[in-house]
Order: sequence, then structure tokens, then C-alpha cells
Amino acid sequence: MNRERFIRDRRADWGRFEQLLGTLQSLPERQWRAVQVAELARLYRSICYDLSLVQSREWGSRLEDYLNDLVASGHNCLYRTPPTSLAAALEFIAIGFPRLLRQRWRAFALATALFLVPFLVGTAVGVMRPDLAVLVAGEEELQQATDSYSRELYTATDERYTGERSFMFGFYVNNNTGIAFQAFSLGALAGIGTCYVLLSNGISIGLVQGAMLSKGGATAVNFTSFVITHGSLELTAIVISGAAGFVLAQSLLLPGERTRMESLRHHGRESLQLALGAGVMLFGAALLEGYFSPLPIAPAIKYVAGGLAWLLVGLWLGLAGRERVVVADSAVGAES
Amino acid sequence: MSQSVSRHLIDTRVVIETPEGVDFRFRIAGPGQRLWAWSIDSLIKAGALAILWILLLMLGAIGGEAGIQAMAGVATIGVFVSNWFYGSLFEGLMNGQTPGKRAAGLRVLRTNGTPIDLLTATGRNFLRVADALPLGYTVGLITMLLTPKLQRLGDLFFDTMVVSEQRSPTGRAAGLTKNIEPLARSECPRKFSVPERTLATIERLFDPERIMSEGRREEIARPLSEALRSRLGWSEPWKTEGNQYEFFQQQGYRHTQFLLRVLKTFAVEAETGGQR
Repeated sequence: MNRERFIRDRRADWGRFEQLLGTLQSLPERQWRAVQVAELARLYRSICYDLSLVQSREWGSRLEDYLNDLVASGHNCLYRTPPTSLAAALEFIAIGFPRLLRQRWRAFALATALFLVPFLVGTAVGVMRPDLAVLVAGEEELQQATDSYSRELYTATDERYTGERSFMFGFYVNNNTGIAFQAFSLGALAGIGTCYVLLSNGISIGLVQGAMLSKGGATAVNFTSFVITHGSLELTAIVISGAAGFVLAQSLLLPGERTRMESLRHHGRESLQLALGAGVMLFGAALLEGYFSPLPIAPAIKYVAGGLAWLLVGLWLGLAGRERVVVADSAVGAES
Repeated sequence: MSQSVSRHLIDTRVVIETPEGVDFRFRIAGPGQRLWAWSIDSLIKAGALAILWILLLMLGAIGGEAGIQAMAGVATIGVFVSNWFYGSLFEGLMNGQTPGKRAAGLRVLRTNGTPIDLLTATGRNFLRVADALPLGYTVGLITMLLTPKLQRLGDLFFDTMVVSEQRSPTGRAAGLTKNIEPLARSECPRKFSVPERTLATIERLFDPERIMSEGRREEIARPLSEALRSRLGWSEPWKTEGNQYEFFQQQGYRHTQFLLRVLKTFAVEAETGGQR
């Protein structure tokens, strides 16, 4: 076969392939018709053959480039990963996420320690030396916080109430989830950034909490009843995002029996899933913090709700998605 | 495939083998192209957020102070989404392209050449936080320089690469032989044909990606040119007053000029003939 005849014979197929590819790529996948896909696959295979023929006979780099582009876009169109569905995402939150977290309990324990210890120390220090809270929060903000927890709460019919709640909700989503995603991403730099985020947040949250508690009386009650409910999701999620960061760091520092590059790829997705789960938790926390926590209701109700929330979060993360498996299968299950 | 290893080292192409057993190539995008795409995306983000804020605040103003506050909350969520999910959503849903990448002719792919999914897109964009440290994507630039596929951290952890899809002008030897006169049959008393492989070799000599001086190209062209002259039986006409061939005045590059004429005659003309 000479080159000219080859081009003459095959051109029609190439044109058809380009046209079909254009049509399919402009449509969402569920509107693709079986006939079209079958034809595309057939044409793709024959063009693969054309490309290798041109490559082996060295029939010119332009022709090779052209066929190379056709194969590349065909490959891109045919070999894709199935799209993520909403149902799968919900199932992940309900089952996959707690399962994944328990699997990565070492990273979670490390993150918990790095957050909880400075948090508790900070609280103790804050109670004894409330003036130190200025170091982390700034005088003005601290005064503002003191005022808002000591004042009369809004009533539900207060006009300002709805606006301010929504504003705070937006702020919480942006700020808290941003911090969590940062804690995760900075894990890619050997986890140093993650440590920093966990420690600094632990210290500042602890100190401010201590300062508020030291005021005693209504301020302390208002404060604790305010934070207890959404704290269940919020603090846990910050720690989980830290754990996700440590999984990244671990893949970089301790690749185990994989090569370092393989290790990055292997752990990357799972750690991201942890971080995204934490993001969802923080969204829930922001909803609670924006609309439930400041409700003008008796603190006792909030304590009950808060206790329930901690219990539910604990049960969900601790127990959801456990499987009763035969011992022989458990090894396989752990692998996948 | 042994060739592909050395290819990695000297230029930015990667070779991917499909399940059909065919090798095909991608050209990896460099930092400059990616910076360009990033700049476009940043502008789009800033513009969209400005419009969002203005619209929402105007809308909120109807509801008084509470309305403005509520809408500011919604707009803050807009800021959050654009900060963390702009790249992920576009790359995940538009087959690896943000508007900026599309404008710059770039696409994100998994390193095996397949399209990325939403989760992968999210991951590689989250890690921008680490890549951007300490300022101006220094970390990302360093890892790009250290990896053959020019991957920043986000790409390494999520197994992606950014490829350039800028197409070279189609058609054989396009642009090269624009003002070149083809050889006439009467000029070549012997054979009037050139094998395909030789034509491909000539094309490669003029490949714009190969940076070489004109003088060096002339040197390389000479043996091939001489062999072709004897095959075709072509000889240079005497330089006379009013010579119709302009290129004979450029005595310095007569071999490259001759090869271009050969290319014009046997590759370009033949191809357009074949396509009719």
C-alpha cells in the first residue's frame, strides 16, 4: 500500500471519527446512543491501527501528528472513569467516611493529641490568666466576644436576627472549612503546616474559651451552651482534616514498600476523602452555629441537644459501616 | 519504548501506550503556559465575584439592613466556593479544563492519558495551598522542575499532568513551502519521484521544534541534497542575468532551498492531489 492510496482510502473514516467525536463530546454521557458508541469504538480501533502503520513506515510527521491527535482524543473519550453520583456521595458520608477514619486511626489519634493537648492547656491557662487571651484574639475582638455572650440574647422576632445569622453562617463556612482544607493541603509538605494549624487553633480556641469561662456567671453559661452543640461537629472535623493532612504526610515520609511516587498516588485519594468528609461536617456545624446555637432558648435545652450531638457524632464515627464478616474474608476486606 | 525514556529527558513529550497497543504522544505544558491559564482564571474569578457581590448586595438592600447582612453571608459562601472549588468543578465537569486552561489550550489528564474525575480534580486543586508556598507557587515550580512530567505537588499526589493541546497547523509541511517554486518535470531528466521516508526526513529537518542555525541546517542538508540531485538528475542552472529563480541569489542556503523545493513538489502537491 502506498501512502497516497492509504490516505485516499482512510480519509473518510477519519472524517467520520472526528465528526462523531464532536457530536458525542457536546452531549452528556447518558444521551449517547449505543450505535454511536459502537461505531466510535470501531473507528477508534481502526485509527489506532492506522497510526501504528504510519509510525512504522515513517510516512511523515504531519500525518503522524494528525492521527496521534485523533487517537488521543478518542482515548480521552472512550476511557473515562464513571461519574460520581449523588447517591454514592451520600452513601460515602454515611458509611465510607467513618470506615475510612477508623482505618486511619493512627493519623486521627495524632491529630487529636496535637489539637486536644494545647486546647486543654489553653483553657486552663485562660481560666487562670484571662488577660493572656489577648495574645491570640486581639483586644477588640475579645471585648466584642465578652459583650455578645454577656448581653441579652436576641429574641426570635428581632428583625436583625435573621440577617446576622445568615451572615455568620457564610462566615463560618468560609473561615472554618477554609482552615480545615488548609490543614489537609499543608500535609503535602511533610505535615509541618498541618501541625501548625492544629496547634495554633488548639491554643487560641482554648485560651478564648478559658477567658470566657473565667468571667463566670451568665457569660460562662451563655458561652458553653452556645458552643456545645456545633462544637461536636466543628472540633471533630478540624481534627479529622488534620488527620487527612497527616495521611498525606505519611505517604510522603513513610512510603513503606511502595516507591514514593506510588505511595503518593495510593494515599492521595483516601486522604482527600477524609478532608471532604470533614468539609461536609463543617458545613453542618456552620448551619448549627448559625441558626441553632444562638437561638433564644433555655441553656438547659442546648446542653441536652449538645450532649445528643456529641453522642451521635461519636456513634456515627465509631460504629457506622461496620460489617459482620467471616474471619477469612476480613483480610480481603481490609485490603480493598 | 526504549526511546521514550530518552525522550522524557530531552523534551516535554510523554508517550502513552493504549490498550490497543498503539503509542501516542502528549506534549506536557510548561510553567509559562500554566501561568497564563492561571492568570485568565484569576481574572474570571475576580470578575465573577465582583458581579456576585454587587448583585447580591443590591438585592439585599431591598430587605433593609437584615437583607444586606443575609446576602453578604451568601456572597461569602460564593467566595468560599470560588476559592476552593473553582478549579475542581470546572476540571471535573469540563473534562480537565477550566475556562483559562481552555483559552490557553491546556487540559488536565491522568498520567495514563485518561480524563480526570471530580475527586481527582478536587484533590489537585486543594493542594494549591501547599504548592503556592511560600509565595508565587515556589514549591510547585520546584517540584515541576524535578519531575519529567512537570507536575506540581497536586499533580503528584493525584496522578495528573497538564498537557498542551495546541494543534500545529494541519496539512503537510504547512507554512514551510509557502513561497517555494515546485520542481518542473523537465528539470529532472532521471527519476521524478522521492521515497516517503526521505520526505519525512526532510520534514524533520525543518521541524520548528528543532532549534538550529540556518548554517547548521545547510550543512546537514548537503549530503541529502546531493544524493537527491543525482537521483533526480537535477542540476543547478547557470546563474544568469534575470534568473527566474529567486533562490539562486541566496547562494548560502542552496541545499536547504533545494530540499524545500523537493518537499513542495513531492509532498505538498502529491498530498493535495491525493485528497481531492
